[in-house]
Amino acid sequence: MTFKREPQVFGASITEVEFGTEGASVVFGGANTLPLYNFDAQAKHRALVGIEISDKGPDRSLPELSAFYSGAESLSDIASRACTAPGADFVSLVLESADPNGDNATSEDAAALAKEVAVALAAGGKPVVIQGTGNVDKDQELIPKVAEALQGMNVLLLSAKEENYKGIAVAAVTAYGQKIGAESSVDINLAKQLNVLIAQMGIKPGSYVMNLGAAAAGYGFEYISSTIERVKLAALSQNDDALQMPSITSVAEDAWAVKEAVVSEDDFPEWGPREERGIEMEISTAAAALAAGTDAVILRHPASVKTIADMVAALA
Amino acid sequence: MKKLFDRVFDGADEMYALAEKAIEDAVAKLGENTPLSMPNTAYHLANYLSYTKRQVTTISELKDAFEEAKTWRVREQNLSAVFRTGFGTFMAAETIEACKYAKSADPYEGNYHGHLSDAEVRELGVPLVTNDIPGFVVIYGRAPSDEEAVDIIKGYQTRGIFVFLLGEIIEQARRLDLNMGFPVRVVAVGPDIWQVAHIISFVNRAAMIFGAVQPGDRYELDEYTFWRIHAFVNVYEPVSDIVVACGGGAIAMGFPVITNDEEDMWAVPKSLIIQKTTPDFIETSLEARDIKLKITNVDIPVAFSSAFEGEIVRKADMRIDYDGSRFDSFELVRMAEAHEIEDHAIEIIGPDIDETPEGERLGVGIIADVAGKNMVKDFEPVFERNFHNFINCAEGIMHTGQRDIIRIRISKTAFDAGFRLKHIGEILYAKIMSEYESVVDKCSVKIYTRPEDLKTLRAEANAVYDTRDARLLSLTDESVDVFYNCILCQSFSPSHVCIVTPERLGLCGAVSWLDAKATNRLNPQGPCQVVTRERVVDPEIGIWEDVNENVFASSHGNLESVSLYSIMVDPMTSCGCFECICGIEPFSNGVVIVNREHIGVTPLGMTFPEMASMTGGGVQTPGFMGHGKHFIASKKFMKAEGGSLRIVWMPKALKDLVASKLNVTAKELYDIDNFSDMIGDETVAEDPEALMEFLAEKGHPALGMDPMF
Amino acid sequence: MALKGIDIFKLTPKTNCKDCGQPTCMAFAMKVAQGTVQIEKCPHMSAEALDALGEATAPPMKSFRIGARDEEYALGGETVLFRHDKTFVSKPLFAISTAPDAADTTIAHACKIDYERIGERMCVELIYLEYSGDKAAFAEAAKKVSAAGRTLVLATTDADAAKEALAATSDGKPLLNGANPSNHETFAALALEYGVALGVTADNLDALYDTVREVEKAGVKDIVLDVGAISVKDAFANAVQIRRAALKSGDHSFGYPSIVNVSALAPGDARMQTALASVFILKYGSIIVMDGMSYAQALPLYGLRQNIFTDPQKPMTVEVGIYPINGADENSLCALTVDFALTYFIVSGEIERAGVPVNLLIPDAGGYSVLTAWAAGKLSAGSIAKFIKEEDIESKIKNRNLLIPGKVAVLKGELEESLPGWKIVVAPNEAVSLVKFLKEFKAA
Repeated sequence: MTFKREPQVFGASITEVEFGTEGASVVFGGANTLPLYNFDAQAKHRALVGIEISDKGPDRSLPELSAFYSGAESLSDIASRACTAPGADFVSLVLESADPNGDNATSEDAAALAKEVAVALAAGGKPVVIQGTGNVDKDQELIPKVAEALQGMNVLLLSAKEENYKGIAVAAVTAYGQKIGAESSVDINLAKQLNVLIAQMGIKPGSYVMNLGAAAAGYGFEYISSTIERVKLAALSQNDDALQMPSITSVAEDAWAVKEAVVSEDDFPEWGPREERGIEMEISTAAAALAAGTDAVILRHPASVKTIADMVAALA
Repeated sequence: MKKLFDRVFDGADEMYALAEKAIEDAVAKLGENTPLSMPNTAYHLANYLSYTKRQVTTISELKDAFEEAKTWRVREQNLSAVFRTGFGTFMAAETIEACKYAKSADPYEGNYHGHLSDAEVRELGVPLVTNDIPGFVVIYGRAPSDEEAVDIIKGYQTRGIFVFLLGEIIEQARRLDLNMGFPVRVVAVGPDIWQVAHIISFVNRAAMIFGAVQPGDRYELDEYTFWRIHAFVNVYEPVSDIVVACGGGAIAMGFPVITNDEEDMWAVPKSLIIQKTTPDFIETSLEARDIKLKITNVDIPVAFSSAFEGEIVRKADMRIDYDGSRFDSFELVRMAEAHEIEDHAIEIIGPDIDETPEGERLGVGIIADVAGKNMVKDFEPVFERNFHNFINCAEGIMHTGQRDIIRIRISKTAFDAGFRLKHIGEILYAKIMSEYESVVDKCSVKIYTRPEDLKTLRAEANAVYDTRDARLLSLTDESVDVFYNCILCQSFSPSHVCIVTPERLGLCGAVSWLDAKATNRLNPQGPCQVVTRERVVDPEIGIWEDVNENVFASSHGNLESVSLYSIMVDPMTSCGCFECICGIEPFSNGVVIVNREHIGVTPLGMTFPEMASMTGGGVQTPGFMGHGKHFIASKKFMKAEGGSLRIVWMPKALKDLVASKLNVTAKELYDIDNFSDMIGDETVAEDPEALMEFLAEKGHPALGMDPMF
Repeated sequence: MALKGIDIFKLTPKTNCKDCGQPTCMAFAMKVAQGTVQIEKCPHMSAEALDALGEATAPPMKSFRIGARDEEYALGGETVLFRHDKTFVSKPLFAISTAPDAADTTIAHACKIDYERIGERMCVELIYLEYSGDKAAFAEAAKKVSAAGRTLVLATTDADAAKEALAATSDGKPLLNGANPSNHETFAALALEYGVALGVTADNLDALYDTVREVEKAGVKDIVLDVGAISVKDAFANAVQIRRAALKSGDHSFGYPSIVNVSALAPGDARMQTALASVFILKYGSIIVMDGMSYAQALPLYGLRQNIFTDPQKPMTVEVGIYPINGADENSLCALTVDFALTYFIVSGEIERAGVPVNLLIPDAGGYSVLTAWAAGKLSAGSIAKFIKEEDIESKIKNRNLLIPGKVAVLKGELEESLPGWKIVVAPNEAVSLVKFLKEFKAA
């Protein structure tokens, strides 16, 4: 008697979303099985791995990271260097300088920086993701400006939230032909609601992805993984077309902000070097997010990017 | 009196003649092959492109295109001919302007804005689509005075309306040094009526960019401009035929025209409106185009934030105490017709705070009148209940209670900061307009403080409360068309869904059918969705096919069916927020109900937490069910198993709370007097044996009923 | 489909005799249905009733324990494929692999990781001892592992080596991982003889399935399925398909816990092992074997495991008490939030980021988030005042500023009444605004 296999292939599938320009674009989504379940049916596209850079530059106190970016001083040099990170499918720029609780650079200045980076990335052959400040008011002003500055580059702009999706969706997608991420906070129903509202603005599937929230491993990550799992199951097994957008998870910010990745080796000698702790935190969180079913992850350290890209390849 | 249609046709002829002359002049000066384009646009001459699909790039192409435009001018006495002629007039106007731009890239040399770039279309288009700019106005002509010209422009500016100016009003504004320009949302387009072509070009490009309207698709274009572009036109007398022709085009696009010229003018409801009182243009225009303004700030002299919700104003700090427990007081929301309400009117009838001695106690009555196309009377109490939350958010103001048992205290600090009764009106106005945006279009507030007024008005308010209560009682599951679901708790109980009906409120006790309905209307994508109940399977047990479909979908496939009136067959699940749990007591054929507050053990041998652990989490547990306290006296309470007659035990506190209503139900359904006295509680029994003894002694009807399983 | 409590009640004697320890037959039946009480506790059930129940209540996945005394660990017993459907129950155990001659170093290395996180001990539970041809050395190393208080996995396909090691260590209830299609008879016999759980491996799922059935026939009850080390893709496919067969298709022969050797899947690559271990924590690894375990790996992996194996219905809570942050002392201001672990982590993280010394006060709020706790009556002016009194905070801290979460601003007035002498300050609604708020805050 042999083991009876029951492949789980669904009638529904995840919508494909493409960003980037010809020759330098990537597609995610498209699967009709649970993520990474290539034994059920081979997925059309692999999960994507992005490398994150900040407009304030890399943390040069981390030796390995600093070595990777050594000699890259200007933002466009840093961007070009990020393009060379093995395994990176795209580069994600965080417009940290525009944060009203930080430097509060003007939207115009931040958009100009974004433009500079986008040009460098286009030369490096990588599609572009731009992350706003996370401040709803600032992003409402900033993201349309960035969308305008990067016209024709088909970039993915993160994120539109319930409070500011209207202006961002209409400006970025309708007026300037970009893609956007719909960000909700770890709740399948809120995610669905936002998707429906965005669709009501006349935004078509294929123009937006979901950002379902993020947390580092150990810090309420079960809410993230359960939300991602529930969204995928609803999209595939229930054929819920308001949840069939691919999802992207920004791991970097949360992973590098938790105590494990922040405290110094002097304070916690038995924990070992801080950089390795940050890398492992990114790796563990990203791997778990992919296992739960996200379609793309954003990581900060080139070493994490390589490991996760290798893992995705090994499972493909 | 000249007919309106003829005025349109005569005016169009004037515009066409001017265009003809402009082309001839351009050909003579520049030659036919000179390239021609508007600056900074990829849409050529957008009006021609949009109406005729023609991509005009040279003077000769313009000539050809103009020939086609001439065919749009048809003198026929019907509306579609008039509308078509209006559009033709816009093409003629665009012809005149295009010839100007053919001669010079900057024909207005900075004096007027002229053509709008694609970038400007996008910049202005986004907030128009998202409603962040509620609409735009085109003002043409000469206002009765320079001051009035500035007043109307500023009036629109403060309401967030984008302003395009044409003609003499521009000079009027300039004489008073009004700041104009794209950034301040006031654009001086040009001195003549034909520069209207630039505004129409903006509209047509917006339709192509934001509405994906294809060139030449008149139907889609009309739909888009009518539904999505909230524009309107103000024209000062005298209105010439050529302006009337342009007005015809505007009306065709769904943009109403408001004028003070009565000469040879024919009012058309919703489209061509004569308003002799020019300062009222704004109000008339907004109403004609159904433009609702966003209210964002609460205009009061003290801070307003949820952080002040829990503040207590103590006697020593109190400037005034409106005390409903001693003096006639009340709060009331009334639905009214739009025309009966002057929006944002706040009236104080009687002495204000500063006309009352410090520390005084007296009564107060607050009436908010609201109107809105989607408003229904059932929302009145929903809004009213929130007065408490709204008013409490003001620093130094304390509010408690509702209906006619309210109390409002205002602190000395708030008073010294300038807080007066009208600010309560401002708070209510701003909050009602913003929180209930989707259903309220207009709101006014009246605040009364004279004892004689309060006495009569309170009586009137009481009559309203009584009517509402009667309405609540008359609401039955059979008397409504739809139920609602509630998935508010899915964040922690992912597979649970509540079905809320008039006779069965949410198990948390906080969501009634009316609340769910209001939540749905106010936030159509929110946690409460309509559940139809058309395909009945079993009305006794409470099974409907469409209810089950909804439960399946909204539980994300976890639940297949729910019986609304049974605790044995697919009972409704629980999230964990239940006020009470009922569970079967097998020896008496009855059920035991226990509320969250009860600490002790029930005759089932289980405590509330123990029962909660097996009832929560969205799992169906036949024989056990979570529910709200007020469901106990409902006629639908486990109707399938015989109803409330099955109740054999409740904690005393809960029994006291529900006794009167439960007794009424038992009397009505089973003709039993004082039924609650037959129900055991912790004072007579905490185990099944003692309970059985008590029930036998009382002759509880459950003992004689069939076992439930 | 699990049996409903009502159905079980029908089979009870309905006498409320209390012999089972429960006050009523109904309470007993409901608890059996819930899985918190064993059906055998009722001495009066008829044989027929027990049979009927046994069939219906047989779990889709076997649950058993390995290890002994303080080092006894549960494996299996899962009922759902996704934790949101109910909960995951047996957290995966971590093992470090070692050759016998490196046992001392490995044990020392493994024992370095041993700390507590939200009430849970985090350590390398198992040592995966790999046979390398020397039976005596294998048995010797096995003894060392047992003595060090770590549970053993004996990884060998050599029956003699296994026997020698088992003879020395079987009272520690190790896992014998080594049965395969060619040796399963002897290995089944060994497992039965020494009363240990048996790991089964094969080149593919079909062979594994057949071998398991043979081992079952031989009478072995506690089985662990090795997902193999052919490739990452193959191991993952096996882990998922095995669990899915058991829980979704109800195939009892695959209803056993699994063992995943990531050290063999990504030899020498610690970072890749972290990545794979993370995947297998979510997707059905019961024992995860690593090359080693550094703090950099342990911190995320154990945190992730703790998250994923939290019951969605019973949120993680932190202990009630005073948590001084940024070197807070008796003169530092107080801030209060709930005992829900996630809230605590977020709030304490933001306070740390602000760099302002704060005494974070955690009352018992039922493990709910702020608004839920407030709505459920678990966080009220009364409960806060009671907590302040019971913890004797007024004598421990001199500062009388108390920050309360913005979402329960409504408690301010009542708190001022019930806590005379305190200045109640409403903090922001969201923790993310705390940094700015605290930096700008001027205590009264």
